[in-house]
Amino acid sequence: MGVMSIALPDVDREVRQRESPEHPAVWQTVVWNDPVNLMSYVVHVFRSYFGFSTDRATALMMDVHERGHAVVAEGPREQMELHAQAMHDYGLWATVRRIPR
Amino acid sequence: MTENALILTISRLEAQQLADLVAQFSELLEPHAVADADASDASNDPALARLAPNPYPDDADAAAEFHDATRHDLLERRQHDALRVLADLAPSFASGDPDDPDPAADTIDLAIEGDAGWAWMRTLTAIRLVIATRLGISGEDDDHDPEDDRFAVYDWIGYRLDGIVRAMETAD
Repeated sequence: MGVMSIALPDVDREVRQRESPEHPAVWQTVVWNDPVNLMSYVVHVFRSYFGFSTDRATALMMDVHERGHAVVAEGPREQMELHAQAMHDYGLWATVRRIPR
Repeated sequence: MTENALILTISRLEAQQLADLVAQFSELLEPHAVADADASDASNDPALARLAPNPYPDDADAAAEFHDATRHDLLERRQHDALRVLADLAPSFASGDPDDPDPAADTIDLAIEGDAGWAWMRTLTAIRLVIATRLGISGEDDDHDPEDDRFAVYDWIGYRLDGIVRAMETAD
């Protein structure tokens, strides 16, 4: 317990620093594998929505397919939520998370 | 026909079956795509939940906030897409002989213009997600039960979706 009471304020300070206007916290939009979406469709969505090249869109789609997920964008939280919302519109399964340390 | 139109050649019978399916999908969305819909209703149906996934699986508060702010609009956009697809399919009903002895052989060219291509792709994708949720498809290699017609419908919609994606890629 003693360790926790010492550790928590440090975490808080770090969060505040990371989310200050000069250092906005960096978040990610992650697309997860599902057994339904067609590979051709996922590549088409990545190309059209993010403006990725066919090669990059295909590589990301393969990451989703083979590794289970891929980070498709990084940036401020609000923007990552907009991307996730757009992915949901397309029927893709997307989540938003703080960059894992 | 504008030069951006994608032409979908389809039998009248298939177009009517497709319209039937899209209309069912639209009915599923209907109670949830109105302004005063209770957002929690949609999360009780796994198929609707899959159409509006949780972006914060580890943070219930953030998830609830996101859903309250976005779910209704998302389902409304899906409804809008579905109605657009139905409108594109309408010409297959307008003409043609209702007593045609072989409607499967009677094909029609449907024009899918501009943004409607995305309405089609999103709608066909969403219908597959709903069917997959109902069937419990959870892996890429799930056995398809030949006795269950819904698997055939699932594959058929996938075939049509893939064709439209390829046509759109070529048009880019």
